[in-house]
Amino acid sequence: MDILSRPGRPTLILAIALTLAAIAYISWKVTESPDQALQFTINGLNVGAVYALLALGFTLVYSTVWFFDLYYGAAAAIGAYAVFYLRAGQATDTAYDPANIGLNIALGLVVAGVVAWALHTAFFERLRERYAALLVRAAYLLVAVVAGGYTMILLQYPDNLHQTAAPLIALISAAVIGTVLYWTLSRFAPGSATPSQWVAILSVAAGLVVGAVAAIALAQAPESRLYISWLVSCLLAGVVSLALYRGLYAFILIRARSTLIMLVATLGVLLTITAILVMTFSNTTHPLPASFGNNLLTLGGATFKAFALFAIGCAIVGFILLWLLIHKSPLGKIIRAIGDDEQVARIVGINTTAIVAIVFFIGAMYAAFAGILTGQDIAIQPRMGLELLLKGWIASVVGGIGNLYGAILGGFLLGVVEQFGIWDIPGEWQDGVALVLLILFLSFWPRGIIPRR
Amino acid sequence: MQIRQLEISQNFSRLPQTLLFSLRNHLEIWATVIVILAAATFMLSRGTGFSITLVTVFAIWAMLAVSLNLVLGYTGLLSVGHVGFYGIGAYTAAVLTANPRQELLEGEIIQIFAWPFFAALPVAVLLCGVVALIVGVAFSRFRDDVYVLVSFGFAIIAYNVFVNWQWVTRGPFGIHQIPKPVIFGYTINDDLEFLLLTLAFLAIIVGISWLIVTSSFGRVLKAVREDEDAIEVFGYRSSRYKLAIWVISAMMAGLAGAMLATYTSFVDPNSFILLESILLVAIVILGGLASIWGSLLGALAFVLLEEGVRFVPFLPPEHVGQVRQIILGTLLVLLMLFRPQGVAGRFKL
Amino acid sequence: MTTSERHSIESSFVLQTLDIEKHFGGVSAVDRLSISIPRGLITAIIGPNGSGKSTLINLLSGTLPLDGGMVVVGPKRLRAIRPYDSPNIGLTRTFQDVRLFEQISVLDNLYVVMTERSSLLSLFQRARKEHRERAERILHVVGLWEKRNDLAEELSYGQRKLLEVGRLMAMNTQIYLFDEPFAGLALHMIEVVKGVIRELQEYDRTIIFVSHNMGIVRELSDYLIVMDSGRLLARGQPDRVLNDPAVIEAYLGN
Repeated sequence: MDILSRPGRPTLILAIALTLAAIAYISWKVTESPDQALQFTINGLNVGAVYALLALGFTLVYSTVWFFDLYYGAAAAIGAYAVFYLRAGQATDTAYDPANIGLNIALGLVVAGVVAWALHTAFFERLRERYAALLVRAAYLLVAVVAGGYTMILLQYPDNLHQTAAPLIALISAAVIGTVLYWTLSRFAPGSATPSQWVAILSVAAGLVVGAVAAIALAQAPESRLYISWLVSCLLAGVVSLALYRGLYAFILIRARSTLIMLVATLGVLLTITAILVMTFSNTTHPLPASFGNNLLTLGGATFKAFALFAIGCAIVGFILLWLLIHKSPLGKIIRAIGDDEQVARIVGINTTAIVAIVFFIGAMYAAFAGILTGQDIAIQPRMGLELLLKGWIASVVGGIGNLYGAILGGFLLGVVEQFGIWDIPGEWQDGVALVLLILFLSFWPRGIIPRR
Repeated sequence: MQIRQLEISQNFSRLPQTLLFSLRNHLEIWATVIVILAAATFMLSRGTGFSITLVTVFAIWAMLAVSLNLVLGYTGLLSVGHVGFYGIGAYTAAVLTANPRQELLEGEIIQIFAWPFFAALPVAVLLCGVVALIVGVAFSRFRDDVYVLVSFGFAIIAYNVFVNWQWVTRGPFGIHQIPKPVIFGYTINDDLEFLLLTLAFLAIIVGISWLIVTSSFGRVLKAVREDEDAIEVFGYRSSRYKLAIWVISAMMAGLAGAMLATYTSFVDPNSFILLESILLVAIVILGGLASIWGSLLGALAFVLLEEGVRFVPFLPPEHVGQVRQIILGTLLVLLMLFRPQGVAGRFKL
Repeated sequence: MTTSERHSIESSFVLQTLDIEKHFGGVSAVDRLSISIPRGLITAIIGPNGSGKSTLINLLSGTLPLDGGMVVVGPKRLRAIRPYDSPNIGLTRTFQDVRLFEQISVLDNLYVVMTERSSLLSLFQRARKEHRERAERILHVVGLWEKRNDLAEELSYGQRKLLEVGRLMAMNTQIYLFDEPFAGLALHMIEVVKGVIRELQEYDRTIIFVSHNMGIVRELSDYLIVMDSGRLLARGQPDRVLNDPAVIEAYLGN
């Protein structure tokens, strides 16, 4: 029953009047100084790209589990800090050597646990029919230990990241190319209704070859280390998120009587991780090592870094990938089914815990990447987790929570509005102005621009 | 005799289970005992001066926690913006009473009122009430998750104002030389006297809160928390009740803020960051939702935790706050897992 | 028809709806419905699932806003009913999905509907002796006196339903709306609810209830309204209506 979200007539008139006033203000400003307007728009799209990425992941997780996961902000911070952790030697303040064996071991254990869980969930039932249960368990524990050890090596020797990461890159390429090939071949292969084993083997083999070539190429290019660290950071944030869901949230969810419980519990996680980041990396601001795109471009009267274009491109690509995943892939179908009704999904035999865990993994990857973009563009500091969380949360609520189109729209809109909001006001008021506008907006449209159904 | 011995030995062997069982069922009593013992230990070991500081800080946090519990525990509004009112109270008191003998920074002249503290206090409290009224009307349309989001927003807006409204708040430099309260020409300079004053205010706040929650009004608040649509059908305008308790709670927080300002004789925006507000929510939930005693307990545990963490060996002093934050965060998660009403609570989230 | 005759007819109806409407999306849950509820009698509303019975109750109590039409209660002609106004116009109700105040005690669940409505005055009011006596009497009637200090959420389904009926008794209004008061209750509990309804009638109150249980409807009701697809299908004396071929076809025939 949505009695509350039905605005009365006076509210509606007020809302329309305010919107018209805002449009009038902006158009007046634009005619007064088009160059400035263009500059603000581009700046807004630049930060908006980060917000859009955050909102995409946030909304994906929210529309699957229907509670707000505040760890999400920590995922963004973990992403950015992991890049710093791996590449501090390359950063400008080189006096800092963060290598921390305890942290590496902890992360290695987390990765091992997640790998063991993933293998168990995916293969145990199938393999047990053919082999002894003990053998199967031993096999995937072995793989898990190898994965954990490998993670530790990756983190312990960041200077050789381009070499140590080669197997990881080969594996990921193989997985991605294999999946895409398999999907394409099985869909367009002439005459075969069901894809054969050979198609699968062929795709994986092709993927492995490409992956190996890519890995060898990267191993000879030390400047690739920064970009490899981006990948590793995203994966790490995703793995931590997955581990938190499977190892903690799943247990709280069983007992939770309201979504506020999950909100408070994830708030606890956010507090803890933020404090750990401060203890490990100190409370100060760090720059990340310089990446590409620092050259300035001009468009009309506006000047911006080329990196801005990259960020906007990333948001759009991120949106397309997520859209394909949700609306075109079999996994997306299951995710939507869980979002509609988790209990029904469980009854029809879907392993909802596993699927939701994957959703958490993907969501955290988006957050981590948004964190990295922010870090590369500006700098990193421990409170960025909370700040980015709020931006992503706001963007997704403004756009209409649980809705991919709303998320990307809300992200870019929030970025642009933040910029235009401070045209006549000093820049340090930006957060305040943006939030006042948010509260005004939500009082008239509590369900966002594009409400979900 | 033989049998009796057997019984005793059996009971003895089951002691761990029995203890664990009683711990689970009487968590409230155990927590109270532990917290009060810890407080006593600290006070005895560290001397009177320390005890006075500790209790004063506790009293200020307790005022905040009790006031937030009215909103969060009794009315079920998860507000993370309470620190905003705390800050408004502190800044109003600071601006009105501050009387710097010389400007600390050249060329930055702010208005000097130099009011006595007890003239500034009602203004601070009333201003909090007025701001809360406006904010409350704006927030009356939100529920649950979105309410949390906009209350985050309020905390950030308030912080933004404290930092940037420089000709009133002096921004990041803060306001210095806030005088101690004066009663009938007598200045409360002594720490012990100040403590008594703070405790008196705490007692007033606890008393008012107790009167509120045991009145018919308090009962309606709980009903609003449980089912807002249902209580409306029985003739209560729930939005008015929510607004009323929101304003009362904000005024209490403002009082706590004013006490903080005169206690530390210095305010700056760092006391009112969003994180403080989150910690406050953690204290209230930890102590117990919908329980005034729980909020007192939570505030005391929070203050003791900071002191306790200082004793951890090999811990650099700058990490004390972080370790406390980690402990609080972990406790929040554990509570949500095992005891969603908090230690002494009467309301499960 | 003389003025006094018209007056007596109008005053024999305590509540009338004129062409009230409610749409959910494109679906009309209540479609230009006009009914009259006789004063001081027990009126039953029946109809197949989805015929708009609960929506009607929700519209009358203001839980859902009207999309059109008018409700006439006594001298008042209302185009919109706000939920918090419903006791003022003399209405109170139970919910189909039992809605108690879960985490407060059984006793407080009753007190909460008896006390001062004004937010300012209620600050200075505590549960008084008369409240206590009334609550005690009600709890004895619905058989929950032993459970008075339990939280509402700790009760069984039947007890929760009885407590909701008790909460209704604690309200002092002219019209009582019961939404499926007998569904899911054990036999002895059904008797309790029947007793409550009869007692309310003895105090000259008007009772409207929705039920699927034809036996109880026949036994209890003085006036029957049959709804189908949001419209009025038949109304009148229960025996006559229940033998109406149209009703049998639309409702009992299925």
